[in-house]
Amino acid sequence: MTARHTSSTIGLLAPATGLIAVFVLAPMLLTIGLSFTQWSTQTGFDTAEFVGLSNFTNLFGPTSIGRDFRAAFFNTALYTALSVALILPLSIVLGLLVHQTFAPGGIVLRTVLFSTYMVPMIAVALVWSKLYSPTEGPINQMLAWVGIPAQTWLSSPDSALISIVLLNVWQQVGYFTVLAVAGLTQIPVTLYEAARVDGASAWLQFWKITLPLLRNTLLFSAVIAVINAVQVFEPVALITQGGPVNSTNVMTYHIRRVGIERAQGGLGSAMAVTLMLSLIVVIVLLFMAFRERGERT
Amino acid sequence: MSVNPLSRVPTGWKKAFLTLVIIAIAVSAAFPLVWMILSSLKTPEESMQVPPVWLPGSPNLDAYVEVADVVSLGRSFLNSAFIAVATTGAIVVTSLMAGYAFAKYRFKGRDWLFAVLIGTMFLPPIVTLIPLYRLTGYLGLNSSLLGVVVPNLANAFGIFLMRQYIKGVPDDLIDAARVDGASELLILFKIVAPAVLPAIAALTLFAFVYHWNSYLWPLTVLQGNTDQYPIVISLSRLLSYNRGAMNTGLVMAGATLAVLPPVILFVFLQRFFVDSIVATGVKG
Repeated sequence: MTARHTSSTIGLLAPATGLIAVFVLAPMLLTIGLSFTQWSTQTGFDTAEFVGLSNFTNLFGPTSIGRDFRAAFFNTALYTALSVALILPLSIVLGLLVHQTFAPGGIVLRTVLFSTYMVPMIAVALVWSKLYSPTEGPINQMLAWVGIPAQTWLSSPDSALISIVLLNVWQQVGYFTVLAVAGLTQIPVTLYEAARVDGASAWLQFWKITLPLLRNTLLFSAVIAVINAVQVFEPVALITQGGPVNSTNVMTYHIRRVGIERAQGGLGSAMAVTLMLSLIVVIVLLFMAFRERGERT
Repeated sequence: MSVNPLSRVPTGWKKAFLTLVIIAIAVSAAFPLVWMILSSLKTPEESMQVPPVWLPGSPNLDAYVEVADVVSLGRSFLNSAFIAVATTGAIVVTSLMAGYAFAKYRFKGRDWLFAVLIGTMFLPPIVTLIPLYRLTGYLGLNSSLLGVVVPNLANAFGIFLMRQYIKGVPDDLIDAARVDGASELLILFKIVAPAVLPAIAALTLFAFVYHWNSYLWPLTVLQGNTDQYPIVISLSRLLSYNRGAMNTGLVMAGATLAVLPPVILFVFLQRFFVDSIVATGVKG
């Protein structure tokens, strides 16, 4: 490689790599380091005091710190599982509908679905908080039309988290539908033609051709859906503030409250590290699950 | 091209049924946004009625006029526009540069460096939030719009997207320009960039929408400096302002205005959005 080449390589890479190193990689390493310290976020890094694993023992210990953290962790896990369980099947069904070209409605559906993904989460949260309103909201009104009793939605600890899951699914499903469509376009038409010659029903074709060949798409979608789900913040910060009775206190909200608002930087970092490690475990498990299923078919 | 089991052109009742299903889904997907716009046109009395009325009796724009006063809307809009335009512009340039190097250069440690950068794509922002907040504090950026923008001038997704597209640009095109003595930056912006315009359009849409809508980081770094608030944070203040009065129309007018720029941009760049996801998406 010529000298000119080396210098232009560095020149081209420096801006992006430098920015990501300083503003993403360095903070990530700092989070790990700070998780072993007691440190006030309002003071310099030099005031951090090494405390070993005590932040982590607190998180998994019997004090209120541990109880609140584990509640937030559990809420996030539940929220994530529900989101993925709703988004993935929906994205395939909608993807199949959008993907078919015979009906003019397909294009309209596509535009509507994708545009919800462009709406700021804050606006989504505001609008849905009104839609969910027990008395003035249209959702309970419509349920009444078909004889379903009024639901409590965001105002009860039993239903608040799932209500946030639903508004999140509404906002995000368009993106995952695009992913599904992208996967569907890569399945060779000839497979379906051959199956039809063999007399396979549309139902059988879906289970034997479409679903197995969407495996990589589904894996990618699942990973992205998990990562998006742990970031849920706006509806909680705006509407429920973690309530009622801590039922919507999720990790991003809890970590920010501890690490920024209460300035317990070390403790907050330990929570962030736990979140990061859990994410890695979940993603590895997803990869293993999808690979295994792939080998069976 | 039709490649899924449903795509055997159905006829008669089957087609009618599927069309009906599509309409039903589209209507329910659009419903929250339609409700938002309808509510913004209602009078305060209509907004508070039980059970709710769907259509405003005498549609008016009073809520839009009022919301502009309550949250210094013009200022918030400019702040959002600055954040979104500055980050998007920088992300496009830094991604083009790095994407070009990763796609067309061979250098030691390339694949390793690329893997590390791509890894950051999967890192939720909350993981880095606490030290990042201190870091921008050291740099004197807290409480300012620059603090919102500076940490977001490059991102891994942009690099990945550009690399995917630039790989498809013929080497001959680049070599010919090199023979003519063109500098690498000139080649990038005069030859490579025009060849990957769809990717630039898609990245523009992604970056603009993401940063227009972004809430967690601006809320954290601006430390309550309301002059610098983007529209999404001003909107959230509207809710607390308005909780007692229950004037839904005001909130809905603000939300409608905040939704417009990203959705309008989407309408124009829609096809690039889909193509880019197909291009970067998983290969089956």
